[in-house]
Amino acid sequence: MAKHPPEDTPDRLTVSRRTFLKTVGVGAAATGLVGAVPGPAQAKILGPDAIPLALKLNGVTHTVIVEPRVTLLRALRNHLGLTGAKEVCERGACGGCTVLFDGEPICACLMLAADAVGHEITTVEGLGTPEKLSPVQAAFVECDAFQCGFCTPGFIVASTALLNKHPNPSLEEIKAGLSGNLCRCGTYSRIFEAVQKAAKQRG
Amino acid sequence: MAEQGDQTFRVKVGPAENPVTLEVHPAAGDLKPWDNDSRLRAVKGRHSRLEAPQKVTGRAKYTYDVQLPGMLWAKMVRAPIPAGKIVRIDTAKAERLKGVKAVWTTDAKLVRFAGQDIAAVAAVSQEIAEDAARLVDVQYEATPFITDLEEAMTPTAPLVYAEGQTPAPPNAPRKGNVAGPLPPAAVGGARGGTRGDIEKGFAEADAVHEATYRLRVHTHSVLETHGIVAYWEGDQLTVYTSTQGVFMVRAALAETFGLSRNKVRVISEHMGGGFGSKLYPSAVGSAFAIVACRLARQTGEPVKLMLDRFEEQLCTGNAPGALMTVRLGAKKDGTLTAIHYRAYTEGGIGQSARTGAPAGSMYAQCPNVKLEEYDVFTNAGPTCALRAPGHPQGAFGLECAMDELAYRLGMDPLEFRRKNDTHPFRKTYYDVGAKTIGWERRNRVHGETPGPKKRGIGMAHGNWYVLFREAVAAEVQVHRDGSVELFHGAQDLGTGIRTALAVIAAEELGLQPADISVHVGDTRFPPGGTSGGSTTTNSSGPAARLAAHEARMRIAGLAAPLLNAKPEALEFADGKIFVAANPERQISFREAAQKMPGEVIACLADRKRQFEAFRQDLAATQFAEVEVDVETGVIRVLKMVGVNNCGTPINLLTAENQMIGAQIQGASWALFEQRTLDRNVGTMVNPNLEAYKILGPADMFEAVPIFTEGANAGNNTSATGMSEPVFVPTLAAIANAVYNATGVRLRQLPMTPDRVLAALAEAKKGGKS
Repeated sequence: MAKHPPEDTPDRLTVSRRTFLKTVGVGAAATGLVGAVPGPAQAKILGPDAIPLALKLNGVTHTVIVEPRVTLLRALRNHLGLTGAKEVCERGACGGCTVLFDGEPICACLMLAADAVGHEITTVEGLGTPEKLSPVQAAFVECDAFQCGFCTPGFIVASTALLNKHPNPSLEEIKAGLSGNLCRCGTYSRIFEAVQKAAKQRG
Repeated sequence: MAEQGDQTFRVKVGPAENPVTLEVHPAAGDLKPWDNDSRLRAVKGRHSRLEAPQKVTGRAKYTYDVQLPGMLWAKMVRAPIPAGKIVRIDTAKAERLKGVKAVWTTDAKLVRFAGQDIAAVAAVSQEIAEDAARLVDVQYEATPFITDLEEAMTPTAPLVYAEGQTPAPPNAPRKGNVAGPLPPAAVGGARGGTRGDIEKGFAEADAVHEATYRLRVHTHSVLETHGIVAYWEGDQLTVYTSTQGVFMVRAALAETFGLSRNKVRVISEHMGGGFGSKLYPSAVGSAFAIVACRLARQTGEPVKLMLDRFEEQLCTGNAPGALMTVRLGAKKDGTLTAIHYRAYTEGGIGQSARTGAPAGSMYAQCPNVKLEEYDVFTNAGPTCALRAPGHPQGAFGLECAMDELAYRLGMDPLEFRRKNDTHPFRKTYYDVGAKTIGWERRNRVHGETPGPKKRGIGMAHGNWYVLFREAVAAEVQVHRDGSVELFHGAQDLGTGIRTALAVIAAEELGLQPADISVHVGDTRFPPGGTSGGSTTTNSSGPAARLAAHEARMRIAGLAAPLLNAKPEALEFADGKIFVAANPERQISFREAAQKMPGEVIACLADRKRQFEAFRQDLAATQFAEVEVDVETGVIRVLKMVGVNNCGTPINLLTAENQMIGAQIQGASWALFEQRTLDRNVGTMVNPNLEAYKILGPADMFEAVPIFTEGANAGNNTSATGMSEPVFVPTLAAIANAVYNATGVRLRQLPMTPDRVLAALAEAKKGGKS
């Protein structure tokens, strides 16, 4: 459930939403602009106007021009047409926006797009296509591991990350590995089955 | 109910081990319903969803994913106070912000709950829209408010509605914030409400149990928030919206904007959960869809307005909290003599938050029943339907009380149910469920498990109704190349209606469900009903079967000369058409289709009238096993076994999924979920998904869904709804298991650790409860 962006990224820019909140407090966060926040001495100050960012997404670099305050999730969804990751709670509570950040699952709603520059971002779209499903995706289909499907992209990405780390997870490891994701239709047992099935498939 | 021109069929229906023969009279042109003797190939199978590859790869486009060229983003401003007068709304600053294109403000003069619509802005980006919303300056004159159910019932409580304005049925008495007793309900009440003489019933009883049960307001917390993307082309309005009823939205938008219905198109190809909250053109506590359409018309651009999680928790409805007093009487042998159910329900500013139907109808042979239902108004977001509205709450009170009375009588709770329950399906459920959960493993002496982690087993049952919509149609097209498409306007909430229709059509056409492309969720397709009340499969399915059957007859007509047989002598299976008496004589479906005179055979069929059914009510039973840590107060659900009959389960894979979902939602309500309002300022303390906790993967238990065999008739597929009845008994089953584990009765949900510890301490103080 490593869902929060790593804090120790070497070329991390001024703030993530999380450090921003830590720095200035919740009250100011409601109205503040990112550019005004005093950051660490070596930090670059960006914006407040839109700036070009080169994002490496699913193996291809795309340049997007967004305000520095735009989150990775919104950059993906609103500016790059990658709408697989969903904004459900907008505060890291549900995992609906999970993407891989250098292979680690993170909540894209908690990271600024600017902080993703120089890193490999993989979204659910990059894991497989309807014609060529990844083993995890195929297992979700076969086990009917969703109903409305809104949480599914997040679960697929989180499950993929889990299996990359634990190729043969126990049920308890699966529960722990997916505990940052929520499904309201109530399909968890099917999701666990799918992860076990995918683990076998990946061998 | 037979009418002129009706057909007559005798069908075998009811529990497979104890079936009955029923004479049914479908309308002319309808088909003999599938029954216990039908040999079906696709139906009752396990079929993965047609849209699954799109959903697992992030390609499925929900309303929330729709982006149109030139699209503006809208954001609403909501009242931050629970009650007051709106003195002034100043949008000047917001309008001056670069990128803002339009604003909307409410005509309302009063605020009745924190979260009410006040204003909206449309801007060129999501971020600018959010900035602009913050710049809208609203002045309020706060007035006294009330957020607490019990306090709202006191004579000195501030009034949510001024004297004479309290909403309630015309014949319901009103006093302060309380309306009721409400007149008998249309649903539930009509199936056995108040009857007999309870005083006589209690006088005849050897044992009487009375207790008060309480549960809190729950929110739907659908993952895709409510929202819409709207655009105008001249006087043609097109909207994408996350809804349970595209045709319902079309009718409402047409009426609001003075348009004829052919000028409005509503699309909901995929939607991210509804549970009853998306049964409105906008939402029960907001007019956001109308606002978005207005902003779109004003700007001439497409406008996207999605609520955020905060808004979703405040104004899109909720399941009412309830304060229920249940009094039951029974004879020594367990025969129920009286049920008295009184409930005060907490639906915020919304009305008719009824919970009495389970008490009124579940034990049909109890001769003396009295229901008293009252609405209590508070300054909070309005209630609306949530998965069997009022029934999980009412069943929690009733079924916990039944459990308590069983123990008072010294009876096994399951035997007590058997004694009083006449529902033919439930007899089976009790046997199957008890065997699967291991009912004999339950504690004979409550709390007898040694050590701090106490295990227990409980059960409860629930009810719902056979509800359906008749104004439904479907179209099946067979193309010359043998490919098949099915068009039907109803939306897929995640229940899998797209796939269910494919399964039904595949059954008729002898194809695989995956061979059929199904298009749903669009008012340009033949009409489908609003999805509420567990109605979609048994409303839409029969129309799909008729359309596919007509296509089958047309294809059979093409195949017959090739096979030198009469069309009625042909069978369809595995993509082949063959002579039933001589299966060697066969051609492929595709070969037959190639004989069509034109390019496509299009068959449009209306659903025919509902006819006689084995049962008009639905039953479900849930068994639960829990573990209670009496040192920490933490309850874990270990296992749930649900047993249900839904006539014909069209697709077992997806039906079981819904049962599991009901168990999870039930455990989530029982253990975690409660809307919390700050009684000092009247706002919601947990309008999110971390403090409004819903059950997550780490809390997961072993979920066992079981469907028993037995057709119901009523329509040509013999299917009934199922998503709601299976949810109804979950809360009481878990609470009864907690009692069996600990010997301490928790009469308040959710059973959070603090409540568990308090109840344990109370029991210790006063001796065993």
